[in-house]
This record gives sequence, structure tokens and C-alpha cells, in this order.
Amino acid sequence: MPSQEIISMHNVCKSYKMGSQRLSVLKNIDFTVKKGEFTAILGPSGSGKSTLMNIIGCMDNLDSGLYELNSIPIHSTKEKELVKIRNHEIGFIFQNYHLIPTYNVMQNIIMPLLMRGHDRKTAERECREVISMLGLSDRLSHKPSELSGGQRQRVAIARALCSKPSLLLADEPTGALDQKSGTEVLGLFKKLHEMGNTIVMITHDMNVAKWAERTVNIVDGQIQ
Amino acid sequence: MRFSEILNLVRINLYQNRFKVLLTSIGIIVGAATIVCVIAIGKGGQADVADQFRNLNAGALDISYEQSQNTSAGFPFSTGNSSSGRPSMSSGSGSFVPSSDKSGSQSSKRSSNSGERSSRSSSGMPNSGAMSGMPFGDSSDRKNTKKITLSTDDMDNITSSVAGLSEATITYTTKQNVYGGNIEESESCTVAGTLSDYAQLSNLSMMFGDYLSDSDNDNKAKVCVLGYSAAKKIFGSPEQAYDSLVYIDDRPYTVGGVLAQQGSVEAGISADDAIFIPYATGIKYLTGSDISPTITVIAQDADNVEKVAEDVKNVLAESYPNAEFTVTDAGSKMKAANESNRTLTLMLVAMASIVFVIGGIGIMNVLFVSVKERTEEIGILKAIGGSKRDILLEFMLEACCISIIGGILGVAVSFALAPVISGFSIRMEMSVTGAVLALGFSLATGTLFGFYPAWKASRLVPVEALSNE
Repeated sequence: MPSQEIISMHNVCKSYKMGSQRLSVLKNIDFTVKKGEFTAILGPSGSGKSTLMNIIGCMDNLDSGLYELNSIPIHSTKEKELVKIRNHEIGFIFQNYHLIPTYNVMQNIIMPLLMRGHDRKTAERECREVISMLGLSDRLSHKPSELSGGQRQRVAIARALCSKPSLLLADEPTGALDQKSGTEVLGLFKKLHEMGNTIVMITHDMNVAKWAERTVNIVDGQIQ
Repeated sequence: MRFSEILNLVRINLYQNRFKVLLTSIGIIVGAATIVCVIAIGKGGQADVADQFRNLNAGALDISYEQSQNTSAGFPFSTGNSSSGRPSMSSGSGSFVPSSDKSGSQSSKRSSNSGERSSRSSSGMPNSGAMSGMPFGDSSDRKNTKKITLSTDDMDNITSSVAGLSEATITYTTKQNVYGGNIEESESCTVAGTLSDYAQLSNLSMMFGDYLSDSDNDNKAKVCVLGYSAAKKIFGSPEQAYDSLVYIDDRPYTVGGVLAQQGSVEAGISADDAIFIPYATGIKYLTGSDISPTITVIAQDADNVEKVAEDVKNVLAESYPNAEFTVTDAGSKMKAANESNRTLTLMLVAMASIVFVIGGIGIMNVLFVSVKERTEEIGILKAIGGSKRDILLEFMLEACCISIIGGILGVAVSFALAPVISGFSIRMEMSVTGAVLALGFSLATGTLFGFYPAWKASRLVPVEALSNE
């Protein structure tokens, strides 16, 4: 049923200009993710998986095709609206965490809610449950530089979760972590999936992709 | 995003980068300090001018008569219409000047002219006039030959004939030997004969007692008012001077009042050092008719001074043909002094503005570097829902805060520097206006030069910003 689809892509193409030539990165992508699914997009380096993630995350425009996120036609949405969609619908988890170094853990976590127009106290109250679930309660006043890689990624996950998005979008979430921390993070993803969250995880590692309930392979800009 | 939350983020960012903020704001600190100091110096200059002209009204005109130097050096003809004996005297001595030989039996007016010639010749330098470029026989040379003493009648004549005058008074000064109080041996002191309205006209304020009254003048009373410095010099302090006796030309005068300190003045009588006595008293006991009074009139409209000056000259010309009176326009002197001071201040403000521009460019450069350094952060903010407005505001507010901090520090520096600059005998009048203006300039600089980097930051594409390592 279309209403259950969080992501719905049809014939999505994307190319970049490289000097005088155009490089086609995504070729006629047809891809859907249903609500509550934990999907891994698996592909080698240069396969176009990061470009696909950027388009799914509304951070890049597609050249042609249709893309709906939670029934919103992203392909015809203006940048101003995309900002709101990113804030309300998507929780980003990056390989390099992308935490703001000058802010402490709490400030980093509540940023999406502040962007939404909440005041600090309300935002902190709303994030308390997530913070507690991720075991970050005693790290709130620390700066990212004072945390381990696993802890940083947990902060990034907390930031993504606290805005209660329709989709958690993770780009190589274990790429910068050691095996133990990576396994912890993936366990966390599994738990979040079980709680009903929709997760799309981009990875080049088969062992990581195994944690997802569904794996989509992308090779040379095409879904296999 | 709420404005208060953006401000909070700005606060965090500035605090985290406090050393960089301080370095960035140095240009603004210097600019703001310069603005405050320049305005303080400008105001100090204006205050100096105001002090120096304190005893003058803007529409004041001083009318005086100066007898030709050569004449006064010779025979002191007391009146214009000399007695018949005088011309013969002059013709007698006119043997030095061939041309005057023929003037012996002319009218009294002409005689007085020839008298002047003889007085010139009596100096023993018969050709001195021609040598100094003032040839005899020229009509202008015949002016101011007579001894004219301006009087209260002249003053009344001017006030009744010239339109547009509000007030008028007459004064003269003389040097007299004075003793009393702590001074045992008499000392030469300026004594001014004035009417009762002089204090008001010259903006003099009293420390003790009252100024001279009309009845003092009518009764030729031996009372006086001492200037602040004169009182201190003679009696040690103004308090002790009041109601004491001071001896002027060996006659006792009661000190009826002491003036408050007036400071140095650019024109008119230096009130601090003078002793003021009733006009008529001075003539009776000190000078006789041998005085050169100055009539001061106040034009109702300070912008109409030139017309009033012309009218005054015309009225006096009717009474005293062939006499040229000096009419000094105090207001325009004051205006000119203020004008030049204003020009100097404007020039200094322009210099301070250049400092601000340089400071602003410094801020812009640092912000550009900051945007470059924080590209990833901007990318994160955009990825999680930060709008262009949020990013623009954050960076703009950072620039404005850096400028305001610089401005505040600059104002503080200027207040710290003020005593040092004043130590170089430069008068500074620190003002809230100066400080507010400096802060305003700082804010404007931050807003102006912070806008472009902030705008650039807000336009960053999130994907590109995030991939920037």
C-alpha cells in the first residue's frame, strides 16, 4: 500500500559535470522503503550510494524522476520547504558523527528541536528519554572531543532521534568505529527498528548490512 | 529558530573563540577609542572657545575710539574743538612742516588738523608720516586726530538711533595702584569703571555680595567688586575680601562683592584680575576725563550684527565727522573660532572613520576565515534543518557582537586614555554622546562588514559543506 511507503523513488537519475563531461551517478533508480523497515543500501565505493543517500536526505536535487518522502513530492519541493522536511522527517547519522565541536552533548542533541523553534528547556525535556535510553545522561556537559567514537555516534543517534523523524538515515554509521563500538551501534539500530523506527543505512560492508532486515545492492548507479 | 536561541549559540561560539574575538576586535577597539577621544577633544575645544568668550554675547559689538598714535604722542588735545591758542601753537611748531605754515588762520577744525601735523613733526621726525606710508593731505590721514571720549550720552544716542539693539553699556579700564588686605606695598591693578548692567551683559556671576548698583554710580560711591583672582591676591581668599576695604589710588573702597572665577577670556576685560568700580566714581576720583571708554551694544539678532555695526558707525559719524571708530564684532570671532574647531573635529572624525573601515575589513576577513573553518558546522546545521535565515542571523550577530565588544572595550580604553591625553594640556570633554556614537559606529561596521561573509555562509549547499574536510 502506497500509504505505508516512507520512500518511493521512480526513475531517479542524477549526474554531475566533471570538466567537459557529464558523469551519470544514479541511473533510473526505482526504490521504495516501507514504514518500519530497516534497509541497508550496500555498495562498493563509487557505486553512487552516497549520492542516493543525499537525495533521500533531501540534501541534493535529482535531475529527473519522482521521489516522495512520506507522501511529500520532494522532486518538486523548493529548498525552503526542504529545510523543514529535513528537520521534521529525517534524522541523519553520519560516518564522522558531524557533531558541532564547540557545543556540548546536550546542545548538540537538542539542535534539531531548536531549529524547529522550540526553546531550550522544552527541547531538553523532550530529549530526556532518548538521552537516557542511549546512556548519555552523565555525558551531557561534555564536548564531543571528550568522548570516545562510540559515545560520539550515540550522541549523533540521539540528535537524530530526538526530533522523532519518519526516517533515520545513516551513512556508514560504523565506518569510523572499532568493532566493539560498531557492534554496539548496530545493536542499537536493531533496537530502534524493533521500536518501530524506519531506518535506511548506507554501507559498503556486508557484515554491517547483515544487521538490516533488507539489503538493497547498488552497483554503478543502479539498484541490482 | 528562536532569536533568543540564536543569540545563545552566538554567545557559546564567541566564548569558545574568545581569544580570536579579542584579536578580531582590535581594529574596532582602536576605532571606537579614536572616535570617543576625537569627540572629547572637539568638545574640549568648543568648551575652551566658550570659556574664552564667556564674557561675550553672540550679538555683542564693542565700540571704541583710538586716537591716532602720533597725535597722542605729541600734544594731548583734550577736545576736538581746540581753543584758539592751540592752532597758533601748532603753526608755531609747524616750521618743521612746510605745508602747515599756510594754515595758521584757518577754521578751528582745520587748525586741529594742522595741530596733528605739528604734533607729528614734534616727534623730531618731520618726514616720518611719508616714510611710514601715510602721506599728509590724504583724507584718511585726517581721521582720528581729535581726542574723543565716548560717553553715556553717545551710548544713549546709539541706543535711541540704532534699531535692533537689546542692551548697551559703557566701560573703561585704567591701571591704578592698589593696596589693602595682605598687600602692604601698592601694586598696579586693572580697575574697570562700569555701569550696573555690566555683570549681566558679560555673563559674570557673583560669589559673594552683589554687583555695583545704579545708586552706587549716581552717588559716585566708593564701592568696588573684586575679580576672583584679584580678591585672592589682595585678601588671600574671596571670603575675606567681602566687605573689607581696598585702597585704590590711596582712597578706601568697600568691597561690595566678589566675582566667581571666570577663567581666561579671549576678548574684553579679564574679569578675574580686575577691580570693578562705578563708572562715575572712577571718573571723579581716578581718571578725570582722560579715559577711552568702550561702548558695548548687544544686537537682538546675532545674525544681524553686521547691519547693526554699520548703523552704529553711521550714528557716530554724524556726531563725530572725520573720526573712525573701531567696532569689534565678538560674535563673529566666536563663530570663526567655533567653525575652525568644528572643521578640525570633522577632520579627526573622518580619520577615525577610516580606522573603522580598516577595523571592519579586519572583521570581514576574520569572518570569511571563520566561515571557511566552520563550513562543516554550517553543513550540519543545514542538514538538521537550519534555514538560511538562521545561519545568516547567527553569523551576522557574531559579527555585530564582536563589533559591540570592540566598541565597549574601545570606549573603556578611551576613558582610560583621557587622563593621559589631558596630561599633554589637551582639554578633553568626555561625553555620553561620544561613547554612544562610537558604539553606533562599531555596530554599523560589524553589520556592514559581517553581512557578506554571513550571506555567503547562508548560501552554502549542505552536501558540499558537509563534504568539506
